[in-house]
Amino acid sequence: MSFTAFCRRNLGFFKLAVASNLEYRLNFLIDSTVQPLVSSVVEMVLWMAIFKGAQAVEIAGFTQNYYLAYALWATFVARITVNWMYEFRMIEEIDTGSINGLLIRPMSYFEYYLSQLLGYKFITTIISFIFPVIFISLLELPTVWTRLPAALVLIFYYLIFVYGMSFCISSLAFFFNKVNSLTVTKNLALWLLTGELFPLDLMPENIKNFFLALPFSCGVYIPVGYITGRIDHSVLLHGFKTTTIGLIIVSVLGFFLWRKGVRSYAGTGA
Amino acid sequence: MSFAIETHEISRTFESYKKSEGLWNSVKGLWDRQVVYKVALKPTNLKIEAGQIVGLVGSNGAGKTTLLKLLSGLISPTTGEAKVLGFNPFERKTEFLKKISLLLGQKNQLWWDITPIDSYALLAKIYDLDETAARNKVKELSRLLHCEHVLETQLRRLSLGERMKMEIIGSLLHSPEVLYLDEPTIGLDIVAQEIIREFLNEYVKNRGPTVILTSHYMDDITKLADRLLLISKGALVYDGTVEGFVEKSENLQIVTYKFEGQPEQRSEITKTELNRFLNTISSKGQLESFKIEETDFEHVIHSFLQKESRLL
Amino acid sequence: MLAPELKKTLIKYLVIYKAFIKASAIAEIEFRLNFIMRIFNDIIWYAAQIFTFEVLFRHTKLIGSWDIYQTRVFLGVLFIIDAFYMIFLQENLDKFSEKVRKGELDLLLTKPVNSQFMISFQRVSVSCFGNLMIAFGWFIHSLLQLQDVSWGRVLWIFLLIPCGFAILYSIRFAIAALSIILVRADNLQFVWYQLYRLGMRPDSIYLRWLQIIILTILPVGLIASVPARAILDPPEFWVYAWSILAAPLALILTSQFWKFALTKYQSASS
Repeated sequence: MSFTAFCRRNLGFFKLAVASNLEYRLNFLIDSTVQPLVSSVVEMVLWMAIFKGAQAVEIAGFTQNYYLAYALWATFVARITVNWMYEFRMIEEIDTGSINGLLIRPMSYFEYYLSQLLGYKFITTIISFIFPVIFISLLELPTVWTRLPAALVLIFYYLIFVYGMSFCISSLAFFFNKVNSLTVTKNLALWLLTGELFPLDLMPENIKNFFLALPFSCGVYIPVGYITGRIDHSVLLHGFKTTTIGLIIVSVLGFFLWRKGVRSYAGTGA
Repeated sequence: MSFAIETHEISRTFESYKKSEGLWNSVKGLWDRQVVYKVALKPTNLKIEAGQIVGLVGSNGAGKTTLLKLLSGLISPTTGEAKVLGFNPFERKTEFLKKISLLLGQKNQLWWDITPIDSYALLAKIYDLDETAARNKVKELSRLLHCEHVLETQLRRLSLGERMKMEIIGSLLHSPEVLYLDEPTIGLDIVAQEIIREFLNEYVKNRGPTVILTSHYMDDITKLADRLLLISKGALVYDGTVEGFVEKSENLQIVTYKFEGQPEQRSEITKTELNRFLNTISSKGQLESFKIEETDFEHVIHSFLQKESRLL
Repeated sequence: MLAPELKKTLIKYLVIYKAFIKASAIAEIEFRLNFIMRIFNDIIWYAAQIFTFEVLFRHTKLIGSWDIYQTRVFLGVLFIIDAFYMIFLQENLDKFSEKVRKGELDLLLTKPVNSQFMISFQRVSVSCFGNLMIAFGWFIHSLLQLQDVSWGRVLWIFLLIPCGFAILYSIRFAIAALSIILVRADNLQFVWYQLYRLGMRPDSIYLRWLQIIILTILPVGLIASVPARAILDPPEFWVYAWSILAAPLALILTSQFWKFALTKYQSASS
């Protein structure tokens, strides 16, 4: 198998995801912009109320504007770093046996969905990030723009890890019915672990350290904390490290689950 | 003689759980599940020459799809082994996958939300084909199938017949050497069936791939297949030509007759019984009409399948 | 005494509902993993809610007008209503637009039973009864920690929680029914979660105008905030009266809206 052929087809999958998501324009816009917008407004209101109740200028060393910027970025970044749609689709593919149609193609299921997920997240990022950029600029909220590219690199690197988790869970569909409930569990847990709800540094030191030792903090806290100036380069680098470790773990796990799963796979509708 | 497809004592058994009715049994099922084994395919030996077109016939659940899935490497055999084009299908090597194609008439394999032409471009990348060559091939195939006008419409907006034509083009794009067609004409109207049949006939004559075809429409089989495999309850029960099968069971005649003032009656009898049957019937009363028909393949298969399902 | 016709209808619907419960229970137990995960999921969800406020209250005394003890009681009320929602409604209403798309609504409409009833209550998530226990446990625990509880006022919740539930149902159902009219934008469904989030916070954190909106036009404030206020804040009888009035009003409006939506319904094409 030549490398160019590999790249060509994966670029094809990438474009496929962009095209088929844009096909349902309205749904796509609601999903990528309306939802995070509403949700970030709710979060920002909460922070205003907290500052009012605390009657303080600063919380944990940062002013209200820092928290507003965090809340705004966090909801949009969290939207990028969570995988619902493609994970459900992967599970369904295995549940219904339509995976057969993919297995007989000279490509791997792993690359097929990874490239699609990245394509989908790529177009989502481009379109949805317009909003935090505009609002941050208009409201003059703190953001270090030069840090955005590095944060985006971490976000997409972390996304590969997220995909690895999705791959493991979908492989479980070979053994169990309805593993989508696992997806819900995982994503709910991530909701807390990523720091979407609040900056992780508000927690007691030892809990915070525990959360930071996990790769999941790269889903929201590290990239958003980095661009809003809460944390510095060293934490960002630490994020790359934890994500790499996480990636290795899910790769190994995914490899075995997949191999065992395909072996025991019965194929439906015999 | 080289064989494109060869199996040696290949079989497959499926596992499932037994579930009795009611709430309590469901609760019990939480910890106590009774495993049920179902033999989908009994050990089977099969040799198919390159370029041969094989019609695979059997009732639902007889094991047709299991055999196709084994031969395309989607499921692993419980015992025995298969060689397709010299490969072990279940290893699913890239070189192997590039040479085969599986068309499932009941499933979509092209992408739902994009146009067929975009799907083909993507398939060309997956199979690492030359883009212009692939485009020309699509043009040629769609002309033969009379469907050039729908190539640029999203798949989901197409009718069932058009969709099937699109799927067929997709499955032939990489000029497979082995082609598995599972119910390629299912659910289509007679005109569309005819077009597809005509097309497949033309295609296999020109390109000479090895084909295994399953269908519930016997016209597909008689028109296309060189060889007939009849499968029943997981075992091959007939292997030979279509004509041979009809001849073997041709002794059967359909007799339609009507006594005065009574409704029409039908019987199926063998040739040897014919005399005796005529005697008894003519002594019974005044015949109003009487007709003897030779059975055709469609009928023979039907009565075969019927008998089989009665046995089940 | 009930008119015999009405009584007959009522019994018919109760019998149907009983059959729904049984069928749902069987279906749920069938998928073992799912059964356990559902309960687990909700525990994570509760933990995330509690944890968030616990962390935030490390940095402030008040959020809105409530301190941490009062907020815990509020969360208890929210959990109880949410548990009821999970048991009786969630499965049905989340699958609503899917049912419309797949043409299952056609089947429901041909049955001689009220279609709104059928589509709203067909599934009962039996496994979520465990949630209800947890929710009540938390609620009582947080009440006991409160300094001065006037137990007489706690009685209000027996009236106000059902009202909040009816309103929750009405809003959720109306949004789900929108998917009949806006078939091309069924992601609009998910905007619901963001709106619900507005109601998942004490309404006193919001600015005055937003507070009025969520008590009137978009009454998510009536779901949990008003019942909690009946326990925690000085009595405001006109608000209770409004809630008690709004609940049946919302139910009537949804049934009207449902009838209207059905006139716009185009059966799914095959």
